[in-house]
Amino acid sequence: MYKILEKKEIAMRNVWYKIQAPHVAGKVKPGQFVIVRAFSNGERIPLTPVMWDAEEGWIVLITFIRGKTTMKMAAELKEGDYILNVAGPLGNPAEMKKFGKILAIGAYTGIVETFPIAKAWHEIGNYVTTLHVTFEPMVVLKEELERAVDSHIVETVPIDPNLDFPTNMKNVTKRLTETVREMLEKEDYDLVFMVGPAGDQRAVFNVVKEFGIPMKADLHPIMVDGTGMCGSCRVTVGGEVKFACIDGPEFDAYQVDWDVLIARSGYYTDMEQRAMQEYMKAIQGGGE
Amino acid sequence: MVRKRRIIKERVPTPERPAEERIHDFKEVNLGYTFGLAVKEAERCLQCPYNYAPCIKGCPVHIDIPGFISKLVQYRDDPDKAVKEALNVIWACNSLPATTGRVCPQEDQCEMNCVMGKVGDKINIGKLERFVADYAREKGIDEELLFEIIPKIEKTGQRVAIIGAGPAGLTAAGELAKLGYDVTIYEALHEPGGVLMYGIPEFRLPKSIVEKEIDKLRKLGVKILTDHIVGKTVTMDELLQNYDAVFIGSGAGTPRLINAPGINLNGIYTANEFLTRVNLMKAYLFPEYDTPVKVGKKVIVIGAGNTGMDAARSARRFGAEVTIAYRRGEEDVSARIEEVEHAKEEGIKFAYFLNPVEFIGDENGKVKAVKFEKMKALDERDSRGKRKIVGTGEYVTLEAETVIIAIGKHPNRLIINTPGLEVDKRGKIIVDENLMTSIPGVFAGGDAIRGEATVILAMGDGRRAAKAIHEYLTKKREGQKANA
Ligand SMILES: Cc1cc2nc3c(=O)[nH]c(=O)nc-3n(C[C@H](O)[C@H](O)[C@H](O)COP(=O)(O)OP(=O)(O)OC[C@H]3O[C@@H](n4cnc5c(N)ncnc54)[C@H](O)[C@@H]3O)c2cc1C
Ligand SMILES: Cc1cc2nc3c(=O)[nH]c(=O)nc-3n(C[C@H](O)[C@H](O)[C@H](O)COP(=O)(O)OP(=O)(O)OC[C@H]3O[C@@H](n4cnc5c(N)ncnc54)[C@H](O)[C@@H]3O)c2cc1C
Ligand code: SF4
Ligand code: SF4
Ligand code: FES
Repeated sequence: MYKILEKKEIAMRNVWYKIQAPHVAGKVKPGQFVIVRAFSNGERIPLTPVMWDAEEGWIVLITFIRGKTTMKMAAELKEGDYILNVAGPLGNPAEMKKFGKILAIGAYTGIVETFPIAKAWHEIGNYVTTLHVTFEPMVVLKEELERAVDSHIVETVPIDPNLDFPTNMKNVTKRLTETVREMLEKEDYDLVFMVGPAGDQRAVFNVVKEFGIPMKADLHPIMVDGTGMCGSCRVTVGGEVKFACIDGPEFDAYQVDWDVLIARSGYYTDMEQRAMQEYMKAIQGGGE
Repeated sequence: MVRKRRIIKERVPTPERPAEERIHDFKEVNLGYTFGLAVKEAERCLQCPYNYAPCIKGCPVHIDIPGFISKLVQYRDDPDKAVKEALNVIWACNSLPATTGRVCPQEDQCEMNCVMGKVGDKINIGKLERFVADYAREKGIDEELLFEIIPKIEKTGQRVAIIGAGPAGLTAAGELAKLGYDVTIYEALHEPGGVLMYGIPEFRLPKSIVEKEIDKLRKLGVKILTDHIVGKTVTMDELLQNYDAVFIGSGAGTPRLINAPGINLNGIYTANEFLTRVNLMKAYLFPEYDTPVKVGKKVIVIGAGNTGMDAARSARRFGAEVTIAYRRGEEDVSARIEEVEHAKEEGIKFAYFLNPVEFIGDENGKVKAVKFEKMKALDERDSRGKRKIVGTGEYVTLEAETVIIAIGKHPNRLIINTPGLEVDKRGKIIVDENLMTSIPGVFAGGDAIRGEATVILAMGDGRRAAKAIHEYLTKKREGQKANA
């Protein structure tokens, strides 16, 4: 049981949880994640410690409200409540060395995962530019990133209320790829790094590839245990089967089979929507 | 107790729920004996002498089987006393009888050479053991016995860390706690129990039983830290600084995959993933429970061990048509006989001599069929005594919306990467005759040293390791005293 010390909505659909979890806070390194189980009948979901303090024993998680679990956490957990399980840290830390000039990208809430890695890269002497592309009301960690890296760029896209969400998201993808292209044309980078939806990662990769710049991507396949036991998180990298939770989550974007990743990430969409709808019905129907 | 009595050839059957009923739910299949039925079955036992009884020799932890069976007959007029005495005999060797009574491959162990087999049916040792444990649990007799033990424990002041809360770790923890050690278990998942919780389904081993066993450990003072992954949350070095000895019971959790095209298509599960979703996360209760699982109309399970049976029978309970495809023949099916029989009763089909060579997907990256090569058996046998098989060059393609791979597992990778820990080429941790690993003070047992084995072997290791750790730490204590 892990106490929620602080909870706040930091932007539309982005919720910040500061959680007492000394076993993770004392060990976690940039690039690693935790598995959270918030409710007794709930799922285990991977989330990323964004900030932490080993001495005080807390970590910060920021969730994007996506489906039932993240929605229910936002709706039902309060400061002072407890999260049942926080397991970790899991996965491998990001590679920490002098790459030179780095462009570290986060699409949507992906920026919160980019944050600790970009900050650490900057601290060891890399020249780090971060790029956050998202919808206008969803900008997060702007000041924190401005302080943490050499240059932080925010590109926002308005939400067009006349269009459905998937179509709006296409506009983000477009802005993302266009911005990356402009940046790579203007300046030489030694490494591109990105966290975000797999489709956007692939779209960015297709641009980066044209410039022949090395690229790493944190992959987000669906996970269950996060310890290498189930194989749910398997991805195809360099023609081989890898488990993202113990071999990753960071991989060489040039080796990733994006089709497999995208197909696997969407396998439960219909069931997830059903879970979400039933949950919405239950809370709108006046609760228990 | 050796009364002359009439030989009763037939086993007293245990009631079972009919297949048509049970394939619609996850409730337990076998209902077990009542006291009356258990006594009747117990009476059939010939009470072979202790040093001869083949049942005792066949049991990996050498439970005094005629000993516990005789108590049921001796105190037949006082069921509570009968069970308490019987449980006391069992506990001397086995602390999880409700589990082993259900999941041991009795036909290859205690029941294999039962003398009664020469004239009739062998004694139903497994179900008797289960009865004793279940009755004791329901009546609180096990706790009574436990509370008689607890005040007698003398604390040694030394600390032991256990890695993994499967049967090996749980047994080692219990034994060490009884010997007076301060024991802490580190478990990666959110629930202790290992395969008993995430692998073996509810209809074969109700989770409430495992939870009760774990409660008892807590009463013995064992601390359990869930969400702690050794190698990530805490390193072996840190454990060695904070504890006087360590036991590794991390199991064989890494699923083996088939090296064939299409393995990462949607709809292809490892048995571990499928069973974890279904058992640990209770996906069979979706959407009341949040974790999803998808079971198509046609399911192919590849592999015919206990894991394959559990996966197949679980899928059947989602209404699927299930086929188990096995690359060898019926004679080599390694699952417990009871499970194979139950699977057949439940309408699961078996297809032999089929080796998967390709998984075929649709345009959305979802599996739709499996291509197999037909195999044939030779007369020649391999090192395990199984007939060798070779491909025939003929192929067959079977449709499937869901495929579950149940071809075995390797030891957990996070542990075997511990610096200084020697493992063999399959990742099994190497131990000496005292179950000590290459790191002094670090012991190991169960699937982590054996690869995939059985619950009772894991428990046996836990017990042996506890003894070895006790000797090791007694010496350490005495050494410290001598130096002081
Ligand atoms: C290593 C890693 C780190 C992550 N860090 C963060 C983070 O810091 N902040 C954040 O908001 N999100 C993060 N995610 C994604 C997060 O796990 C999902 O948003 C979350 O599981 C959605 O759950 P849900 O019930 O709200 O939505 P659902 O409706 O269940 O799912 C929506 C989508 O989320 C993804 N998803 C669902 N379940 C899982 C699962 N068990 N594992 C992985 N993905 C899943 C799927 O693509 C799915 O289609 C991370 C994912 C990974 C793999
Ligand atoms: C589906 C299935 C059905 C089976 N059916 C039978 C049967 O009918 N009869 C039978 O006798 N046997 C059966 N077996 C085999 C039996 O379950 C195993 O042999 C037995 O559970 C091994 O026990 P163990 O304690 O060594 O490991 P496990 O039960 O695997 O437990 C290991 C534990 O260690 C934890 N762990 C791993 N790594 C770490 C780490 N780094 N840090 C912290 N914790 C860690 C794991 O999460 C797990 O909880 C079956 C196995 C499966 C998978
Ligand atoms: S522990 Fe297993 S092998 Fe031993 S008597 Fe019990 S059921 Fe038989
Ligand atoms: S071998 Fe059979 S008959 Fe003999 S003591 Fe054991 S269970 Fe009884
Ligand atoms: S999440 Fe289970 S193996 Fe990676």
